[in-house]
Amino acid sequence: MKIDKTVKQETLYIAVWTAALSVLMQAVFLIIRKWDYTVLLGNLLGGVTAVGNTLLLGLMVQKAVKQDEKAAKKTVQLSQSGRLMAQGLLLVLAAVLPFFNLWAAAIPLLFPRMAIVARRFLADKRKDAVVSLDEDDDEEDDEFDEEGGGAS
Amino acid sequence: MLELALGIILGGCAVGAGLAMIAGIGPGIGEGNAVAKACEAIGRQPESKGDVTSTMITGCIIAETTGLYGLVIAILLIFVAPRQFVNILMENIGK
Repeated sequence: MKIDKTVKQETLYIAVWTAALSVLMQAVFLIIRKWDYTVLLGNLLGGVTAVGNTLLLGLMVQKAVKQDEKAAKKTVQLSQSGRLMAQGLLLVLAAVLPFFNLWAAAIPLLFPRMAIVARRFLADKRKDAVVSLDEDDDEEDDEFDEEGGGAS
Repeated sequence: MLELALGIILGGCAVGAGLAMIAGIGPGIGEGNAVAKACEAIGRQPESKGDVTSTMITGCIIAETTGLYGLVIAILLIFVAPRQFVNILMENIGK
């Protein structure tokens, strides 16, 4: 199955943000003096799960949009419960096995949402900046018109 | 008496974990409806497939995190909370 360009872009975006937020989380664990190798392994497990979940979600959406409405609905519901169960299993592994920190494995699962919220926030900021630049241009144009436009 | 207290702690944690997992039902239904509507939209305007797919992935991630909150709470209630509660109980008995 060929991976769609949009799915690749979204997964890459989530992967980059997950990596950045993972570094931040490691720093926080270091600051509160709770860091050991289990935090690193737990973070790796959680991060890979989060990115893998996004990739599987993208592939599912790519497959579902080619189907008719009812089949798409069933595909999505089946895929969602399967992915949720897989993530639950990984969290149970992180809780049971002594070389994974449960908190460090659980927190990265929420990083994709933070990445999406950050994108929306950054997009809003960019839009505000563009609007303020346009307003500045309009004010300059008005001043230019008031001065006679330089033509007459 | 101690056994009863331990039983209540473990039972409460198990029931709480089960209740937390109810949050996993909603995202599945919501995502299903959203993708069904996306299929309809792409059927009407095939040229918007890229935009719709991108928005769908974003929306599905947001929706799915709601279920994940429930899952994380359930796992913590099963694996972390009982130990904490038993420790609190033992400390109070010690007093």
